Amino acid sequence: MKRLTILAATATLLSMTALASAAETANIWVRADGSNFMPQIVEAFNKSHENQIKLDIIPNAEIVQKYATSAAGGTAPDGLSLDLIYTPAFAAAGQLEDITDWAKSLPYFKELSPAHVKTGTYKDKIYGLPFSADSSVLIWNKKLFKQAGLDPEKGPTNFAEIAADAEKVAALGGEIKGFYFSGACGGCNIFTFTPLIWASGGDILSADGSKATLDTPQMRDAIALYRGMVEKGLVPEGAKTDSGANFFAAFAGGNIGITPSGAFAIGALNTQYKDIDYGVTFLPGKDGGSSSFAGGDNFVVTKGTPKLAVLKEFLDYAYSLEGQTLLASRGSLPVRGDIAKEALKDLDPRYQIAAEAMAKGNTPYSVVFNDIINSANGPWAQMINEVFFGDDVDGALANAQETMQGIIDAGTGQ
Amino acid sequence: MATTTRTRERSIGSLIAEHGTGIILSLLFIAPIVWAILSTFKPRSEARLPPIPPWPTTGFSIDNYLTLDTFGAGLSHSAQNSIFVAVSSVVLTAIISLLAGYGFSRFRFPFKNLFFILILSTIMIPFQSILTPIFLILSWLGLQNTLTGLVLVYVTLQMPFSIFMMRNAFDAVPKEIEEAARIDGATNVALLTKVMLPLVWPGVVTVGLFAFLNTWNEFLAALVLMTDQSKFTLPIMMTAVQSGRFGAVDWGAVQAGVTIMMIPCLILFLLLQRFYIRGLTAGAVK
Amino acid sequence: MSSISAKAGAMPAAPARRRSKIDRGHWVGLLYIAPAIVLVMVFFVIPLGMTAWMSLHNWPLMGQHRFIGLDNYVAITKDVRFWNALKFTGYYTVIVTIAIFAVAFPLALFVEKPRPMMGVYRTAFFMPVVVGFASASLLWAWLLNVDSGLFSPAAQELGLTEKRFNLIATFNPAFWSIIVMVVWKVAGFTMVILMTGLQSIPTELQEAAKIDGANAWQRFRSITFPLMRRTVALALILSVAGSILAFDQFYILLRGGPRNSTITAVYWIFNQSFVSFKLGYGAALSMVLLVILVVLSLIQLRLLRNPEGT
Repeated sequence: MKRLTILAATATLLSMTALASAAETANIWVRADGSNFMPQIVEAFNKSHENQIKLDIIPNAEIVQKYATSAAGGTAPDGLSLDLIYTPAFAAAGQLEDITDWAKSLPYFKELSPAHVKTGTYKDKIYGLPFSADSSVLIWNKKLFKQAGLDPEKGPTNFAEIAADAEKVAALGGEIKGFYFSGACGGCNIFTFTPLIWASGGDILSADGSKATLDTPQMRDAIALYRGMVEKGLVPEGAKTDSGANFFAAFAGGNIGITPSGAFAIGALNTQYKDIDYGVTFLPGKDGGSSSFAGGDNFVVTKGTPKLAVLKEFLDYAYSLEGQTLLASRGSLPVRGDIAKEALKDLDPRYQIAAEAMAKGNTPYSVVFNDIINSANGPWAQMINEVFFGDDVDGALANAQETMQGIIDAGTGQ
Repeated sequence: MATTTRTRERSIGSLIAEHGTGIILSLLFIAPIVWAILSTFKPRSEARLPPIPPWPTTGFSIDNYLTLDTFGAGLSHSAQNSIFVAVSSVVLTAIISLLAGYGFSRFRFPFKNLFFILILSTIMIPFQSILTPIFLILSWLGLQNTLTGLVLVYVTLQMPFSIFMMRNAFDAVPKEIEEAARIDGATNVALLTKVMLPLVWPGVVTVGLFAFLNTWNEFLAALVLMTDQSKFTLPIMMTAVQSGRFGAVDWGAVQAGVTIMMIPCLILFLLLQRFYIRGLTAGAVK
Repeated sequence: MSSISAKAGAMPAAPARRRSKIDRGHWVGLLYIAPAIVLVMVFFVIPLGMTAWMSLHNWPLMGQHRFIGLDNYVAITKDVRFWNALKFTGYYTVIVTIAIFAVAFPLALFVEKPRPMMGVYRTAFFMPVVVGFASASLLWAWLLNVDSGLFSPAAQELGLTEKRFNLIATFNPAFWSIIVMVVWKVAGFTMVILMTGLQSIPTELQEAAKIDGANAWQRFRSITFPLMRRTVALALILSVAGSILAFDQFYILLRGGPRNSTITAVYWIFNQSFVSFKLGYGAALSMVLLVILVVLSLIQLRLLRNPEGT
C-alpha cells in the first residue's frame, strides 16, 4: 500500500517534470493596484494552460525604478502590466518590444479600448495593449440627497446642478459637506477634474502632447465650479491639503454629498462600506455632455524577451470572454468593447455606467506625464491647489503653463 | 533682621518662579511625545477624532498596534529590518572606528595625516549630494535593495565623528600603560582588546550610541536606497502608512508606529545620557 | 600577519626604536585604518567623483547615458524651480536658526546653574532631540492635521477660531508650524552646546562684575557673550549646515506644499534624481549645493578660528 502511494507519487512527479520541461514560464510584474485581479487571472491561466506565468506584485510607487534597475541589470521581467500613462515614457526610453504586427493581427483590435491603444502607441508603433481599466465617474450619496430633499435617484448632469445639489446637501449642516476632492493631489485631479474640461470641449494638452493648453474657457469654467463650492463652504477644510490620502475615504465616511471618483470605488464601497447607498453617473460638462479619464494598465513586453509566445497566449486568454468576465468580477473594467456588456452582465449594474464612461474616455498623451501631472511637486499639482483655493487664478494658470511647456520641451529635446 | 527675612522671602519666591518655569517648560517639551503615546491606546473608533483629551475615553485598546501589522510587509517585519540595520551599524561602527582610532593614535605611517583629514573632511560634504552614485555603486556590487548595503552606507557616514572620538579616546590613554603591557609580552591584538579596550570603553559606548540613534532614525538614504517594501525600515514604512492606504489615513496606526520608533531612542538616551553629552561636548571643545 | 605584529610588539629595544617603529608601523598602522579607508573610499570618495562625472552626462535611469558637457549646468541657470528652492532654503535657514537660538540661549542660561532639579529639566528639554526627524515629523503631521489633529480642533473648541482652520493649507501658518516643530526638536541640542560654553566661563569674572554694579544684561553683553564666541560659532555652524540640508520634515509633513512653496534644495535634488530619474541633472544640482556648502563651511571655520573675523 505504502509502496503503491510512493509509486503513484513518483509517477505524478515524473509526469509533472515532463510537463514542465515542455512548457515555458514567463515572468510578469504588476503594480500593487492590480493585486485585486492579477493573481486570479494568472491562476486561472496557469490551471488551463501548459505554459505558465510567474507573477510578481510591485508597490505602485516603485515599479518605474525597479523595472529600470532590473532592466539595466538584465533581470527585467518578460512583460509587465504598466500604468498606461507611462507607456510613452517607457517606449521612448527604448525598453519595450515593438508589438505592432501582433496587435494588428488581433481580430478585435479595433474594439480594444482606444485610450489604451493611444497611449500604447509611440511614433506610430504599438508598444502596449490594454490590460486592465478604470474610468472616472461621479458618485453621490443617496441617503444625504434624500435628507436634503433631492431626488436620490438622479445625479447631477451639468455644472449648475452639481453646485446646486452640493449646496442643498451641505445645508444639512454639522459634519456634512456637499462636495469633496483631494485638493493637493495632481494624480487624483487629472483623473477626476480634467473630464469636466473634456466634457465641455476643452483639453489641457495637444493631441500629441507637445503643447500645454491650460488657459482655456473650459478650464476656467471648471475652475469656477470648484472655486464657487469652496467659497460657499461646501467643501471640507481638509480638502486643501489632501494629497490623495483621503481621496476615497472622505466619501466612504458617509458625510459627503457628491464626489468625483473612479470605477474602483464601486467595488471598494460594495465590499468595505456596505451601508453607504450611492449612485454612479458620468462626469458632466458645463452644459451637459460627459467625459471620463480612461485609466488602467497597458500590457507591455520587455525588448528582446524569448518568452513572447507565452505572453501572447496569456494576453489572448485575458481578452477571451472568460478572461474579460473574470477581470470584471475583480473590479477591472473590460477593455474589449465588443464583449463588454456580456462580461459585465452578472455584476452590479453601476459598472455598466463606468464601462460606458470608459469607452468614451480620454487619456492625455505625454512622455513626461509624471513630471508635469502626477508628481506631487509638479506644475499640475501646484496649479490645481492655487486655482481652487488661491487668490490668483490668472497667475497660477500662466505659471503652470510656462513650467509645463518647459518640461515638455526639455523632455522631447532629449 | 528685616533685610534677611526679605532676602529669604525673595529667594523662596524666586525658587518658586524658577521651578515653576522649569516644570512648565519641561511639560511643554515632553507634551507632544506623551500626547502621542497616550493616544495610541485609544480604540479604533476614536482614531479619526481629535485627541482631546489624549488618553482613551471609551476604553483601553492596543488595536492600533495590531493593525499596523497588516500594512505592507507588516510592522514587525519593518521593525526587524530597523533593528538589524541599527544593531549591525552600531557593531560595525564600533569595531571599525576602534581599530582606526587606535591606528591613528598609536602608529606612524605614510600619509597618516592625509588619511585622517580625508576621513574628517567627509563631514563637510553632505551625503545627500552623493546619493545617486551610492545607489549605482550598490547595484553594481549587487547590494542594491539589501539591508547590508544600507548598513555599509550608514557605517561610512558615522566614520568621521566616530574615528575622531576614538582617536581622542586613545590619545587620552597614557603611553606608559601600553608600554608596560608590551614589556609583559602582550601581542598587538591582546593589547587592544584586553588592555586598551576597557580604558576607551566610554568612547566606544558614545560612538555606538550615536550610531544607533542616527541609523535608527535615518530617513533619506533609506527612502532612496530601499525600494522593496520587504526591506523598508520603520521611518519609511511609517511614511507609507501616513500617505494612506485605499485613500484613507489611519492616524491611530501612525502614532502607534511613531511610538515604537521613539521608545528605544528615549530609553537608550535616559540610560546613557552622560555618554551622549560627552559626545556632544567632545565636538564642542575641539 | 599576527606573528609579524607579535614580533613587533615584543621588540622594546630602545635605541632601534625610531627606525623600527616606522618600519613596522608602516604596515600595522595602515592595517588598522584599512577598513575605515575602504568604506570611505567606496561610499564617499568614489561617489563624490562620480557625482562630478555624472553631472556632465544626460543620464536617465532607463536607457543609455551620453556625455553632454556643461549642458546640465547651463540648464540649472534657467531652472527657476531650483532657484526658488534655494531661496526658500536660505529663508528657512535664517529664520529657523534665529528661532533656535532665541529659545536655546535662555534655556542654556537657565539650566547651566548647578542647582537641584536642573539636570531633570535639562533632560526634559533634550528628549525631543533623540527622537528622529522622521518620527517628529510624523508626530507633528498628526498634531497639525485639520480633522484628526490637536491644534485646529482645540482652537475651535476654545473658541479661538470659528471653524476648523487648516494650518498647513497656506504658506505662513505651514511654515511657522514647521519652525515651531524644529525648534521643539533641536533647541535642546543647541542648549547643551551653549551650556558647555557657559560653564567654561570662570565664575569669578561674573562675581567681580556683579560687585562692580554691572546688571545682568551688561554682564551678558560684555562677559558672557564675548567669551562664548567660539561655542556660539560652533552651534551656529551645526544649525546652519543642518538647516540647509533639511528634507525630512518638509517631505513628510508638507510634501513640499502648500503649492510647492516649501521645497528645499535637497528636496528638489531628490525629486529630480529619484522621482524624475534625471540622474545626471540631479548630480549637477548636487554639485552646486556641494559648492555652496563647502564655501559656507570654510567661511564659518574661518570665523571660528578668528573670532574677530579678520
